[in-house]
Formats: sequence, C-alpha cells, structure tokens
Amino acid sequence: MATDAGALVARATGVALQAHGLSKRFGKKTALDAIDLTVPAGSVTALVGPNGAGKTTLIRICMAFERPNGGRVEVDGVDPWKHRSEALRGVGYVPQTPAVYRGLDVDDHLAMARSLHSGFDAEYARKRLNQLGIPLDQRADTLSGGQAAQLGLAIALGTRAKVLLLDEPLANLDPLARREFIQVLIDAIRSDGSTVLLSSHIVTDVEEACDRLVILGAGKVLLDCPLEEARQAHKLTDSKSPPPGGIAVGSFAGKGLTRLTLWRVPADAGEGAAAATEPASLEEVVLGYLAAGRGTTGLQLN
Amino acid sequence: MRARIILTLKQHRFETVAVTIVCVGLTLAALIEAYRLNSLNVPLSCLQTYQFGYADPSQGPISAAQAHCNELAKSFFDTKSSLDMSLVQLLLLFAPLLTGIVVGAPLVAREIEQGTAPLSWALSGSRRRWLLGKVLAGVVLLAPLMLAVGLAANVLEGALSPGLNPYASFSNYLGRGVIDVFWALAAFAGTFALGTLLGRTMPAVVVALVVCFFVRAAWDSGMSHFVLRSFAVEQVQQDQQNQQGGYVVYGPGGPAYADMNLYYKTFIDGKEVTDAQRNDWYAQNMVCTPIPTPSDSTSPAEAGSPGASNSPGASSSPGAPATPGYPTTVGNGGIACQGPTVDPSHFPQQIPYVIPGSWYWQIVGLESGILLLGSLFCGAIAFVWVDRRRPY
Ligand SMILES: Nc1ncnc2c1ncn2[C@@H]1O[C@H](COP(=O)(O)OP(=O)(O)OP(=O)(O)O)[C@@H](O)[C@H]1O
Ligand SMILES: [Mg+2]
Repeated sequence: MATDAGALVARATGVALQAHGLSKRFGKKTALDAIDLTVPAGSVTALVGPNGAGKTTLIRICMAFERPNGGRVEVDGVDPWKHRSEALRGVGYVPQTPAVYRGLDVDDHLAMARSLHSGFDAEYARKRLNQLGIPLDQRADTLSGGQAAQLGLAIALGTRAKVLLLDEPLANLDPLARREFIQVLIDAIRSDGSTVLLSSHIVTDVEEACDRLVILGAGKVLLDCPLEEARQAHKLTDSKSPPPGGIAVGSFAGKGLTRLTLWRVPADAGEGAAAATEPASLEEVVLGYLAAGRGTTGLQLN
Repeated sequence: MRARIILTLKQHRFETVAVTIVCVGLTLAALIEAYRLNSLNVPLSCLQTYQFGYADPSQGPISAAQAHCNELAKSFFDTKSSLDMSLVQLLLLFAPLLTGIVVGAPLVAREIEQGTAPLSWALSGSRRRWLLGKVLAGVVLLAPLMLAVGLAANVLEGALSPGLNPYASFSNYLGRGVIDVFWALAAFAGTFALGTLLGRTMPAVVVALVVCFFVRAAWDSGMSHFVLRSFAVEQVQQDQQNQQGGYVVYGPGGPAYADMNLYYKTFIDGKEVTDAQRNDWYAQNMVCTPIPTPSDSTSPAEAGSPGASNSPGASSSPGAPATPGYPTTVGNGGIACQGPTVDPSHFPQQIPYVIPGSWYWQIVGLESGILLLGSLFCGAIAFVWVDRRRPY
C-alpha cells in the first residue's frame, strides 16, 4: 500500500527518480557524499563525471545492488532496497560491462528475459536485433563486444520500462550504432514516455538525446540543470577577467597553451556579458565543473 | 517456470550432460554387475557351506556335489571381490554427493563470477523467484537420475547378499535406494548455498567437498548415537529355516544380519549389569586365554563392547551363526574362557538391541527426512543471502 501511494505521488509530482542525502562508502572511500538529485519523469538525463565519480554506484543503488550508507533513493516513488520487486518492475537496466550467458544463444536470452519479466516484449527486442544484423541463433559468447552491448540494450528496452538506467550504454558501440541508439532512445521516450538516466564520459555523444545534465565529481553533484540552461548560463574566457556578473566555476587547459576559465553567468546579467565572451559548449561546461570538482564543492543551479 | 528450468539446464549444459552421463553410466554398471552375480545362479546352500578362505582340510574328502557347489560359490565370491565390482560400489557411495556438488556449485556462483547476475536480477526484480527457478532446475535434474542410481544400487545389493531383501535390511542401506536422492539434494543445497555466500564456484566446490566428507563420515555414528538408539528393540533371532521375514537372514558364508545392531545389554541371572560388572564376573569366575580366531567379524556374540564395532549398515558379515539363547563365552578380541565351576545357565547373557530389518522404510524415511531438513536449511540460507548480497 505504502509503495503504491509512493508511486502515485511520484507520478503526480512528475518525479521518476529521486535521491535524498544519498551516501555510499566503500571502506574509507566515499563514493557518494550525501547527494540530492531529482530526475523528472519523461526526461533524459545525462550523468557525467570522471572515472570513479560515483556514476555506476548511483545507478547500482537505484537497482538495489548496493545498499546506501545514508539517505535513500526512490525509483518511481519506491525505495528499491525495501521494495525491490515493485521498484524494479518498471526499470530497464544496462550494466557498464556487458555480460551475457556464455552457453546460451541470443534468442535464449530473450526467452530468459521473457521468463523473468512478465512484461518483456520479446518481439520488440527481436526486431531491434534484426535491424542491427545480429543473428538470433548466434551463441552469445561469440558476439563482439558491441554486439553484446546491443543485446543488453535490446533486453533493457524490451522490458518497455518506464525508467531506463543505462550505465555507459554507448561505450562499446561504433559511431553508427551510437547514432542509432540515440535515435532509439528518442523514439522510446516519445512513444512510451520513458525516463532515462544514462551515464557517459562523453557528453557530446548524448547531447542530442538528453534534456538534462548532471555532473558528478568525487561523489558530489557539481551541476544539475536542464541542458539548455547549462549551455546558456555559462561563458568561457581565456583570461582571468570575469564577464559582467560572472562567477568563476573552474579553469582548465584549452588548446595550445591557453588556460580557459568557465564562468557561470546568471540570466539577469546584462546583455553586454553575453556579447563580450565566448558561449561555452557543453563539453566545456563539463570540463569546467570537473576542474572545479577537484578542489571545491560544486555549484548547484536549478 | 518450465522455460526457466529448460534455460537453466541449457545454461549449465556441461554440468547437466556430465551428471547425466555419470548417473546413467553408473546405473547401467550396477545393473550389469548385479546381472553378472545373479547369472551365476549359485544356490544359497552352496554359499552357506562354502567356507570362504579357510576351508577346514581336516574334514576329509568332499563329495563331487560339494566340490561343484564350492566351485560355484568360489566364482560368486571372486566376482563379488573383483576390481570392477569394488569400483562400482565405490562410485555408488560417492555419486550422490559428487553430483550434488557439481550441479550446486555453479548455480549462483557462476552468475556472480561471469557478471550475468545483474542482468537477471534486474529483470526478475525478485531474486528469490529467480533462485527458485534455478533450484527447481537442479532438483528436476538430480532427483530422477539419483533415483535411478539408487534403485540400481538396491538391485546390486540384492545380488551381493543373496537371501537378503534389500528393502528389509540395513546392509549398506545409506548407499542405495531412495536415500541417494536425498544425499544428492543435501549436497546440492549445501553447495549452492556456499556458492551464494562465497560468490565463487571453485572455492564453493572445495569447501563443499570437505564438508560433505565429514558429514558423510560422521553420519553413521551420529545417527546411531543420537537418533536411532532410542528406537532400538531387543533382537529377535530366528533360525536358519525361517529365512522369510526373519530378522536374521542367512546369507553367503554365514548369517547376514538384516538388522542394524546398535548396542548390547548384559544380564547376569536376569539382572542387568554394566560392562565393568560383566568383566569383573569373568575375572572372578572364568579362566580366560586368547584364542586364535579365523575371523574378526562383528557378529553380536563376539562384540563385547556395545556400539564400538557396530555401525549401522555394517552388520552383514560372514562368521559363525549366533546361537540363540546360548550364553556368551567369548570375550573381547577372541578370548576363550572356561569356568568349570559355574553352571552355564548363570553365565552373563548379552542381548543385542537393534533396529529390525523390517523397519527399513521407516528408517529410510526418517533419515531422508533429516537430510531433507538439512537441505531446506541450507536452501533457506541461500534464499536469505541472495537478497542481501551484491550481484558481482
Ligand atoms: N565494490 C566496491 N568496493 C570498493 N570500492 C568501490 C566499489 N565499487 C565502487 N568503488 C569505488 O567507488 C568509487 C566510485 O566508483 P564508480 O564505479 O561509481 O565510478 P564511476 O563514476 O562509475 O567511474 P567510471 O567512469 O570509471 O565507470 C570509485 O573510487 C571506486 O573505486
Ligand atoms: Mg562506472
């Protein structure tokens, strides 16, 4: 009852995934440090951050693979650690390292998914794999790394889940497959109204599909805002002088010998501010925050 | 669930095929060995008269019929002690535990090792339901195969001990029949629980081998000491003529005890005495000297210390038939005692307490039940732990 109510509230408030003061430690190492995060329903959120930032840990906690040391997460209003079946029923997941059953062929994987998940749409997954030219009767252990990743994706998408948690889904895909995958994501969101949280190192890859950006660094949320806002509210200069109204975020090495500084410029800063400086690309926004994440605590927009 | 079971067996293809081959092969081997013995067609009387290994030459020439009889009996014992027969018996003893371990170890552990657990656990939501599917696959594989092996072992037991009904005797009863299924299930459950705890296949196999070895080695004495002892009843001895349904059945080379000997009570003039009191009695009334004995077998008349040499199931042995009701005059380790001054009717009497062979099914049911409880306990640990552990 309680979980159903939670799900109803989540739907009514349009929140698909929420973290409150979420902490995770591994021994002395703090992987997540009391983070707060809200992923609105129907959004596609890019989770970006350097190696070891805690992206995978966050997604694993959402899948109830790890138990948080503090705080909690809610997936569609349900705490996955407490009510696993309910929370995971509506979640599709792709792990960072693709894993397949060595003894089974591709179609067996779909049958296995069908037997484990009552809502699994094997036809949909089959169609997707056919489009990619992956033979259904091929032994899964003979698939290439990218093909195995595609199989994992097809299974996750086949659940027709409301929430997709994808841990670096593009990492093993070729450029064409990446574009196709982005297209599939956009389709899935349009047709099913899914919410997607996908981690990536390379923000430009997912720029097209995403509408929100979360930057994690050293276990903290450095930035959490709509993509458009991230683009418009940041300027880049190659000097120490701030644009009017600008607040320094972080500086990093640019091309050549220049040192670039990222500035956060609130929307109410004068028109002159925008004209005087370079608008920052999304990649530069990420770089600026990552540089900041090394030393200072992050800035929160939103 | 059917699809899950088939997919699980396919996923563990190697174990499935290996276990099937071993079990089917062993079943056939046991049946062939039984057929070899049965086809010798040795009359029971020949086996009884054949003095295996220590024929007394002082009895003079034997008749041609007796010679033929001895010839037949010798071929029977040769077959019985042949290498292949011993090998089959050895395999029959260990097959249930080994197959249980082989099927159980990779069940969960390999999914964790190969990183497929996150895939399945994400899809299933309930890890317990996922585990249940896998466990059922293991049971569906093991139960019929081990039943076949166990029944074949019963057939072989019947051939090895002619005159002994395998379903009404405790001769080797833990290594044959339906109890084989429960040994396999217990090893299976214990091993997949270990695999779930450790998350690694090989360590689970090694630990399971060690644990199974100790459990199996301690089982006989543990059961007879803590469980069966309380059920034991005074042995009712029956004579050679009454072979059907009697508790003592005369098999090859002497009496084969269908009963499971557990302990003895000693009485002097109708009063129960301790072992120490009995020994005192002998010291006071008898002159005892060690006698050369051709056999160190464990017929109840010879075993002086209760329980020490009488593990359940090991009561089938050749030797001199026990004389019902006659006072014991042979002490520990073959000591002949003479007490010319004492009337034999006042000698200490040893009464064996046994589980009668006719209780075979009850005892098999009891011990199978205990093994099943152990399996359920191990299974429960796995089901609790799978919900708590990481999938990698
Ligand atoms: N099971 C574990 N035991 C110990 N430390 C762990 C464990 N899992 C993660 N960590 C540590 O937690 C931190 C966050 O790891 P995480 O895998 O979440 O990073 P990530 O952002 O996904 O990195 P990457 O981009 O390399 O995948 C790292 O320092 C990692 O070493
Ligand atoms: Mg990661």
